[in-house]
Amino acid sequence: MTQTIPEIVFVVLKILILISLILYAIFSAVIIRQEQLMAHVLEESFEPILRILVLIHFFAALGILFLAFVLL
Amino acid sequence: MPTIFESTGTNIKKSPAGKKNAVNRSMGPLTYFAVNPSGVRFETQQSDEEIVLFLRQHLIVNIPWLLITFFLIFTPTVFSPILFRFIEFPFVIPAGYIVVGTAFWYVFTFGYILVNFLHWYFNIYIVTNERIVDIDFVHLLYKEFSETRLTNIQDITYKTGGIFATVFNYGNVFIQTAGERPNFEFVSVPRPDRIVQTISEQVEIAKGDHP
Repeated sequence: MTQTIPEIVFVVLKILILISLILYAIFSAVIIRQEQLMAHVLEESFEPILRILVLIHFFAALGILFLAFVLL
Repeated sequence: MPTIFESTGTNIKKSPAGKKNAVNRSMGPLTYFAVNPSGVRFETQQSDEEIVLFLRQHLIVNIPWLLITFFLIFTPTVFSPILFRFIEFPFVIPAGYIVVGTAFWYVFTFGYILVNFLHWYFNIYIVTNERIVDIDFVHLLYKEFSETRLTNIQDITYKTGGIFATVFNYGNVFIQTAGERPNFEFVSVPRPDRIVQTISEQVEIAKGDHP
């Protein structure tokens, strides 16, 4: 039998999800910084592609955060 | 197609310090063994210093996280529907949560791939005509850069064992240095016998023992 969940449960869940997504966005920003530092240590031709990938990951994390604000 | 392995052949032998070797090849993103690579420099490399060997861990060490990635990619589309067929939830999950959850799952998977690849990509061992450099990307917030002059090297040994290491020819190379300087360990590097041979030759050249 399908039950309805109290509104307060969704509010708590939403806050927890948003906090998690904010932390993940910070984590993805740390990856960017670390990639920059390591690219300084080792200069190689593949580095620009790697930088694009970490930037895509960061913007994807921000996109999910925005999506969560809108949809939840 | 990217170069993932460059054979040393005989070009590395008796390469005099400071003199350019005949083999100079460009690096690919998956290169894990390169002799006299071109297009690569490291932070403290001096203008007259040449990279003789460029090493990463053997590609095979990436298999465990690639298997986990495979599982992560197919979980929402294959495994979850199978699981949900047997589990009946007593409530309805709102569509917004499913959309955000699925999207986050794939971004997390992408992040997992990225972090593991970066860990492999930036764990580097370099042998130059003057020193040995070990660059470790231990985890996201910690990196380690250690080096020793070739003249400080006292003993080099390698160890290989196990099914995978034997089949794919990789192992650990231990480099003992003089005094209280830290010892070096090249972990899961390809062709450890060739690496030991190359380093020994470079040490001989650096110490002036080479004929």
